[in-house]
Amino acid sequence: MAEMHHETGSSGADFDLSQFYQIFFEEAGENLDLMEQMLLNLNLETADDEELNGIFRCAHSVKGGAATFGFSDVAELTHQMESLLDRLRRHELRPTSVMVDVLLESADASRSLLARHQSGDEGTAPPTADLVGRIRKLVSGDTAPAPAPAPASVSAPVKVETVPVEVQQTEAKSRNQVAAVNVLRTLKVVISRLDHVERADAIEELFRDIAGLGVIKSQACNEANTRVFQVETTSSNEDLLDLFAFHVSREQVVIQETVASSEITDDTGGDASEGNIAGANGPGLDVAHASSTLQAPGFGFFDGAPGAPGAPDASDAGIAAVVAAAPTSEDGLPKSSRSGTKSAGAANSQPEAATIRVAISKVDQLINLVGELVITQAMLAQNSRALDPAVYQQLLTGLTDLDRNTRDLQESVMSIRMIPMSIVFSRFPRMLRDLAGKLGKKVDFLTLGEATELDKGLVEKITDPLTHLVRNSCDHGIEMPSDRVLAGKPETGTITLSAAHQGGSIVIEVRDDGRGMSRERILAKARERGLDVSDQMQDSEVWQLIFAPGFSTAEVVTDVSGRGVGMDVVKRNIASLNGTVEIDSKEGFGMKVSVRLPLTLAIMDGMSVGVGSEVYILPLSSVVESFQVKSEAVSTVGQGAQLVKVRDEFMPVIELEKVFQVPRFNTDKTSDIMVVIEAEGSRVVLLVDELLGQQQVVVKNLESNYRKVPNVSGATILGDGKVALILDTGALVRRSRH
Amino acid sequence: MPVILTVDDSPSMRKMVSFTLVGAGYQVVEAVDGIDAIEKANEQRFDLVLTDQNMPRLDGLGLTRKLRERPQFKTVPILMLTTESSDLMKQAGRVAGATGWLVKPFDPDRLIEVIKKLIK
Repeated sequence: MAEMHHETGSSGADFDLSQFYQIFFEEAGENLDLMEQMLLNLNLETADDEELNGIFRCAHSVKGGAATFGFSDVAELTHQMESLLDRLRRHELRPTSVMVDVLLESADASRSLLARHQSGDEGTAPPTADLVGRIRKLVSGDTAPAPAPAPASVSAPVKVETVPVEVQQTEAKSRNQVAAVNVLRTLKVVISRLDHVERADAIEELFRDIAGLGVIKSQACNEANTRVFQVETTSSNEDLLDLFAFHVSREQVVIQETVASSEITDDTGGDASEGNIAGANGPGLDVAHASSTLQAPGFGFFDGAPGAPGAPDASDAGIAAVVAAAPTSEDGLPKSSRSGTKSAGAANSQPEAATIRVAISKVDQLINLVGELVITQAMLAQNSRALDPAVYQQLLTGLTDLDRNTRDLQESVMSIRMIPMSIVFSRFPRMLRDLAGKLGKKVDFLTLGEATELDKGLVEKITDPLTHLVRNSCDHGIEMPSDRVLAGKPETGTITLSAAHQGGSIVIEVRDDGRGMSRERILAKARERGLDVSDQMQDSEVWQLIFAPGFSTAEVVTDVSGRGVGMDVVKRNIASLNGTVEIDSKEGFGMKVSVRLPLTLAIMDGMSVGVGSEVYILPLSSVVESFQVKSEAVSTVGQGAQLVKVRDEFMPVIELEKVFQVPRFNTDKTSDIMVVIEAEGSRVVLLVDELLGQQQVVVKNLESNYRKVPNVSGATILGDGKVALILDTGALVRRSRH
Repeated sequence: MPVILTVDDSPSMRKMVSFTLVGAGYQVVEAVDGIDAIEKANEQRFDLVLTDQNMPRLDGLGLTRKLRERPQFKTVPILMLTTESSDLMKQAGRVAGATGWLVKPFDPDRLIEVIKKLIK
């Protein structure tokens, strides 16, 4: 039933399945994610029924929906996955890591197929024939490693193994309780006009999946896009066509009877058209009632079953047997009395939705508006300071309330954009599994604080740096299992990823119990690269060296990391989010990288400084200290560069007045307050006139509203309505290097 | 207006089934699995139950068995919607007390056709 885009005639309903596509895509995506998660958590030795059933159900649901909505490629692939999972949950096969790999790959492939359908079937579909073949091999119990991908060529038909057929024969025998009561026929089934010849392989699967259906054997065929099977079955042609319709359309199938019929049972009842339902020799079944009264393709009613057409209202003997355990009551209400029953109503018909989906642009606009409101409120607050509280008491009380409400509103609105870190964390188990497998390492992955929330924009931007850090831990941190054992550690290494709120920041830590970093090696490497280092440097300073561009202490360049694009990029990315990175390590015991980020990019803790009549904002995260100095403490070196000595350390001095060419009307006044800022691992001193205070500022993007301005990362509006520029501390530090 | 209880853990299937049935003039109540269906069945009567087989918590067979234990559901048609078209599954459905089965994927017309045979 590949084609499901029906127009309804008889019912009169205007039917367009595409209106359900979006729900299906979301649902399928969730199922595939859940499946991946469960597969990754699956312990191959101790896998229990509940886990295996859960994974099976995911594949099953996706398959059902895909088939219903006409996404036959997804249905085909997930059907194969389902077959494998079905054998696993029935304990007919033992789960292996090869199976988990193939299932994970298949889940990825299903996602790509779905994504393609979602984008309107553009581009070419990713090939899945190889995956289908590999799963089929696993289903058949062939535990040999998967062979090289078999190209989807015309040679495929003759390559079909006979193994599955034999397996299924024994299975059919062992379940011969359900042997059909019909006539065994030998048929030649020709399936032609196949755009993918593999599609017909699924027909073979049917015979394995459906006990009692019969035996199928693939036969050689020289015609392109055609498969020929020999089938021994007791089912009717109509039933077979129905079953096959799941994979190929009816028009493609030709069924011919090749061998004279032979009776296999002495049962007199039932012609071929009842084949499907008449297989009623199961224990405890009343064969007389097992035939169907109504047998049309794809559905059927049980003869004499409650509610079936023509069934008596009261239970007959057949039903009585079924419901014998139930408290039998004679006052089963007749159908007519039910017509007046009222429904509990639409409100009751669906589980209540706990979430709504809105466009992110709407949320952003809301945040923007609240930002404006905060500014207006600040202006009002500032202007009202001069008012006499005795005269304007009510107004001032109102303004205080406004202040509080604005703050609460701002917090609530900001929280809309907050999403849990689990969104980022969830990608790592899979990545680490693949990576550890590639490197031959054993790694356990732990996550803590997954529910910790962070602004959506930050979550997107932090994902890459975190990925880099986690890869590094696995690649360079965790040792090979044998080395770990030699070092007296457990064979399996552990990488821990944690997130927690600390004040107005979030701290994300990547920790591993691997080999850690060698102080000596880093120092040696730094000298090699001509960096200014000394043996007296503190550990924390030594670790910071690995953030220097192109710095890598990896001994082996793998295809994972260690190619030179490394920690400097990580550090720069994090710094661009107003975040900081710290490293702690002990050689032989592991390493910890802590990333501290503000909770949102839209609001920033800033320090406002005055230069002349201008006000600038410094991100508080980069301010180290501030002090007043006499101008003598500043020494001028070559080319007019200035340095100041702070506790035995010389730091470059930047005069903001000169950087921004601030006009100065009071020529006697000079900047004499120094603010030490740190960015990109270096410190510089900014010379300013005055420190105005610390405040939360609403960050406005200057680039999108005006243009990029050197040394400025954004702007904000102050309480008095003036615009203040937010300084780009990274750029200022880089400026001082030249 | 006849009321149908449709039970499926897949939201898209539920939506599609309800849409089809509502379009054909039935009133529909949705349940997300067998347990939810039992709860809905405690609250009201239905003229027909349409249930998926494979669901978490309580599957279609379990639901059918539980419903048939109740006097008010003794004669209500229960249709199993299933991708598992094996004879075994059908026999299991029959033993559990189902009225019939419909193979997924199905065509909306077919669903209505089948239901019309069961609800007059």
